[in-house]
Amino acid sequence: MARRPTRKRNPKKKASRRVNKARKPAKSSKTSKTKKTGSNKKSGKASKSRKAKQSDNSIVNFFKRIPWRRLILAGFLIFVAYTVYLDFVVRGQFEDKRWALPAQVYARPLELYEGLTLKANDFERELNLLNYRYAYDPTEAGMFQRYGNKFKIVTRPFTFWDVKESSQPIEVVFSGDQISSIKNTHNKKEIALLRLDPVLVGGIYPLKKEDRKLVSLNDVPELLPEILVAIEDRKFYDHYGIDPLAIARAFIANIRAGKSVQGGSTITQQLVKNFFLSNERTLWRKFNEVIMAVSLDFHYEKNDIIQAYINEIYLGQDGARAIHGFGLASEYYFAKPIHQLDLNQMATLVALIRGPSYYHPDKHPNRLLARRDRILDGLLEQKVISADLLTRTKALPINIVSNRQTGSRQHPAFLNLIKRQLRELYPESKLSSEGLRIFTTMNPVVQLDVEQRVKQRVEKLAKQRGLGKKLQSAVVIANSTSAEVIAMVGDRNPRFAGFNRALDASRPIGSLIKPVVYLAALEQSEKYNWASKIDDKSISLKARDESIWTPMNYDRQSHGSVTLITAMTKSYNQATVRLGLDVGFPAINKTYKNLGGPNDLPAYPAILLGAQNLTPFQVTQLYQTLAANGFRSPLRSIREVLDVDDQPLKRYPIKVKQSINSDLVNVINSGLIQVTKQGTARSLSNRLPADLHVAGKTGTTNDTRDSWFAGFTGSHVGVVWMGTDENLSTGLTGSSGALKLWGDIFTQINTTGLALEQTDGVDIQWVDPETGLLSKASCGNSLQLAFIDGTAPTESGECQGASTGSGIRDRFDRTVEWFKRIFR
Amino acid sequence: MKWIIYIVSAFTLLGCATTKQASVQLPGEDPQQTVAPDKNTSSAVISLLEKARDATTQGDYQRAEVLLERTVRIEPRNASLWHYLAKLRLHQARFSEAIGLAQKSNNLARSNNHLIADNWRIIAHSKYQLGDVAGAQAAQAKAKNLGNQ
Repeated sequence: MARRPTRKRNPKKKASRRVNKARKPAKSSKTSKTKKTGSNKKSGKASKSRKAKQSDNSIVNFFKRIPWRRLILAGFLIFVAYTVYLDFVVRGQFEDKRWALPAQVYARPLELYEGLTLKANDFERELNLLNYRYAYDPTEAGMFQRYGNKFKIVTRPFTFWDVKESSQPIEVVFSGDQISSIKNTHNKKEIALLRLDPVLVGGIYPLKKEDRKLVSLNDVPELLPEILVAIEDRKFYDHYGIDPLAIARAFIANIRAGKSVQGGSTITQQLVKNFFLSNERTLWRKFNEVIMAVSLDFHYEKNDIIQAYINEIYLGQDGARAIHGFGLASEYYFAKPIHQLDLNQMATLVALIRGPSYYHPDKHPNRLLARRDRILDGLLEQKVISADLLTRTKALPINIVSNRQTGSRQHPAFLNLIKRQLRELYPESKLSSEGLRIFTTMNPVVQLDVEQRVKQRVEKLAKQRGLGKKLQSAVVIANSTSAEVIAMVGDRNPRFAGFNRALDASRPIGSLIKPVVYLAALEQSEKYNWASKIDDKSISLKARDESIWTPMNYDRQSHGSVTLITAMTKSYNQATVRLGLDVGFPAINKTYKNLGGPNDLPAYPAILLGAQNLTPFQVTQLYQTLAANGFRSPLRSIREVLDVDDQPLKRYPIKVKQSINSDLVNVINSGLIQVTKQGTARSLSNRLPADLHVAGKTGTTNDTRDSWFAGFTGSHVGVVWMGTDENLSTGLTGSSGALKLWGDIFTQINTTGLALEQTDGVDIQWVDPETGLLSKASCGNSLQLAFIDGTAPTESGECQGASTGSGIRDRFDRTVEWFKRIFR
Repeated sequence: MKWIIYIVSAFTLLGCATTKQASVQLPGEDPQQTVAPDKNTSSAVISLLEKARDATTQGDYQRAEVLLERTVRIEPRNASLWHYLAKLRLHQARFSEAIGLAQKSNNLARSNNHLIADNWRIIAHSKYQLGDVAGAQAAQAKAKNLGNQ
C-alpha cells in the first residue's frame, strides 16, 4: 500500500527504487550534505566487499552460507508489520481528533419577560457576549438593532433540555430598568416568556491544553480550502498523500538557497506532523510521516482530510493555551465565527501556518504582512482571485484584534468549580472528548462585572498599602433561594488559571463565625434575645496548648454591660467569647452544622472568634442558609448536562431543606441588617440605596491577615475574601478591605432588598440598642429588630439619642440615619 | 380564566395519582384538594405552567421538573410554584425532596390555608413513605386542623 505511488509512476526502475524507497522522500528535508554522505556510504560499501573477496575466501563462504532470500523476506515482513503498525497509530489519531470534542460549557440562558428588572445596557452586553451582530435591519438569526430603549432581534434557534427554542424576530422594549413589552414582529403577538440561547463561556480541554473549536467543512467559507490547496499543496486532490514532485522541487530549491526554504510537505503530511507535535527533522520521523500520510490518504476522503487539517493545524499560542484550527483561530484573532471571514483574514491565518511565532502579529507584524501579500500573489498566480481583488485586499491592513487575551472569555475559577462538580460523575478524559453540553448557573454579565471589580479594587488597595502583587482576593456570588452560583473569582487576575482561592484557600474566618454563635444563643429564646445584656469585660482562658488566651476587642477597650445587638454589630470579642461559653460548644456546633458547616467545630475558646479555617465557597454555604430563610440548599454550578446528540444525561435539581427555624433566621437577620446600617459595615449604607436592606458581617483575623465580608440581599448572597498567600499582615480589616469590594459588586448588580418578615412567630419592635428597652422609630438611635413572639422587651425607655460610642463619626452617622428616616 | 382550570386539573391528576396508594395507608385522608396558582402569578410563569401541565399529562415528569424549576427561578417567592414542585417530587417518589419543597412553600404561603394544608398532606405522605409514621401523623393532623378552620 505504501509502495503504490512509486511503483505506478516508475514501473521501469522498480529494482533500484526498491532499495531507496524508504529513504527517498526523506531527502527533501535534508540538506545537500546528507546526500553526499549517503552516496559515499554506498561506494564505500562496494569497495569494502571487493577487498574482502581478494583477501579472505572463508568470508566469501560465510556470506554464501547466509540465506539472503530469507533475510530479505524477513526484512520485508518487518517492514510490512511496521507499516501496518503506523497505519493503526495514525488512524487512531485521526479518529480521536476527529471526534474529540471538548465539553461545551454554557452560561445560564437569559429569560425575558414583561416586568423583568434588567438594564438595557446589560441586555446589550449579553447580546454582544452572544455574538449577536449589530445590523440596521436584522434579517438573519443572530442579528440585532438597538434604538434607544427598543431592541429588534432575530433570535437564534437552540436546543435546551426541556424545549427546543426556534428562531423568531422579536422586539423588546425597556422602560426604566425593566422590560415593558416583548413582541414577535412577524405575527405582532405578545410573547409571555422568551429564552435566548446561552452564552458559551468555555470548554473543557484535554491536558495538553490544545484548544479548538471544531468546524465542519460546511461551516467553512468555500474559499478557505481553495486557498489552502493553492498555497500549501497544489496537487492535493490528485496525489496519494505525498507529492514526490513537490518534494523534488523543494529539494532543488533548498539546494539552490543553501538552506531550507521550501517544505514540499503535502497537506496530509502536515496533518500527520501536527498529530504528533514534534519538530525534530530526522530521517526516521520523515519516513514515518510519509507512510502515515499515504495511509491516511488510502483510508479517508480528501474532504475528511482537509476538514481535519482545518481543525488541527496549530495557529498560535495564548498563554498556556494552544490555538488549534481555523474555527478557534478566527474567533481568537478576529473575534468572529469562521463563516464570516473575508479574504484578507483568511490569507492572514494561512500565513500563520508556517510559524505562528515567526509571523507573530504583535512581535513581527511586517513579516506577517509580507507573508500575507506573498500568499495573495500566489492566489492570483493560481487564478483563485482576480487582479482587482488582489489590489484591493493588499491595500487592507491586517486587522487582528489587539486585546485578544481579554477578548477570549475564560473564567478559570468557575470552570474549575464545574469540573469538580462533574468529576464525581465523569472522568476528565470523558469531559474533554465526548462533546458534552454543560448548562451552568453562571450569569455571564455578573461574572464579568465581578472580575472587573476584583481587578480594580485589589489593585487600588494594594497600591495604598504597598502590598504590590501580593494582595489576593476571592469572591463567590450566588442566588440565595436556588443556591445557584452565578459568579466566582479565585485570583486578583481573574483570567489566571492557577490557585483557585474561592475553592481552595482555607483561611481563618474570624468574626464571620459570630452570627453562628449569636444564632445558637438566640435559639435559646427563653434566655437570650437581642435586648439581653452580656458582659464585655476582659477574659482569660486556657488555650489548647495550655497557654493563657486573653482575647481583646479590636479597639482594645472593654465596654461593660452591652446588649447582644450592640456586641454583634460592633463585633465585640470579649462579649462574644463570654456568650459562646455560656451557650456551649455542642449547641454552637449544632447550629454550625445546620447552616451547612462542612466539619465539626473543635471545642476550644478561640473557635468562638473564628479560628476555624474555611474557604470562601464554604462560607457562602453557611450564609446561603441565612439568606434563604433557614432553607439550606447545596450550592450548585450546573443545571443540566446533555450529550453530543442533545440527549439528557444528568440533572442537578433544586433541593431545599429546612435546617433552621425561619422565625429564628428572621431574628438573626434583623441584627445582621443593623451591622450594615450602624455597625462595622455601616459604610455600605452610604453606597447602597436607602431602601435596599442588606445583611452581613465583617471579619478580620489576627494582625489583619484576612479581610472578610459575607453578606446577602433578598436575592443574592456574596462572600469576599482578601489577604495574601504568604499569610502576611495586610493592614486591611473586613470593612476597609473585603467590604469595599463587596460594595463595588453589589452596587453594580441587579439585586432586591432583604425584607424583615412579620410572621406569626415573630414580633418586630423598635429598640434602644444601649438600654435594650422599647423605643420608637422616631427616636434617634433606635433600631428595628425581630424577636421570637413573646420575648420582646416590654418596658419602654426614654426617647433620646444617647450615644453608644463617643466618636464624632458615630454621632454624625446617626444624624444622617435620622435624616434618612425622616425624609424617606 | 381558562388556564387556571387547565392547570388545576393537571395538578389534580398528579395529586390523585400520588395519593391513591398513600390514602389506603393513611385512613381519613382527603387528598382531593388542589391549589390554583397565586393570583399575582405572571403570564411568563403561567406559560411555563401550561407546558408543565402538558408534560405531566404526557407522563414526561423530567420535562415537567425542568419547566417548574424555571418558574421558581422567575418567581422564587411564589408559594404555589414550590407546591407544584413538591407534588411532582412526591409523584417521582423523591420523598425527602418533596418534604423540603413543601416546607418551603409553607414558609412563603402566609395565610393561604388551603395551600398550607395541601403541603402538610404532601409532607404526611412523604414521611409515611420514609417510615416516619409519627411524623406523618403529626403532619396529617396539621392538615386536618387547617382544613377545619
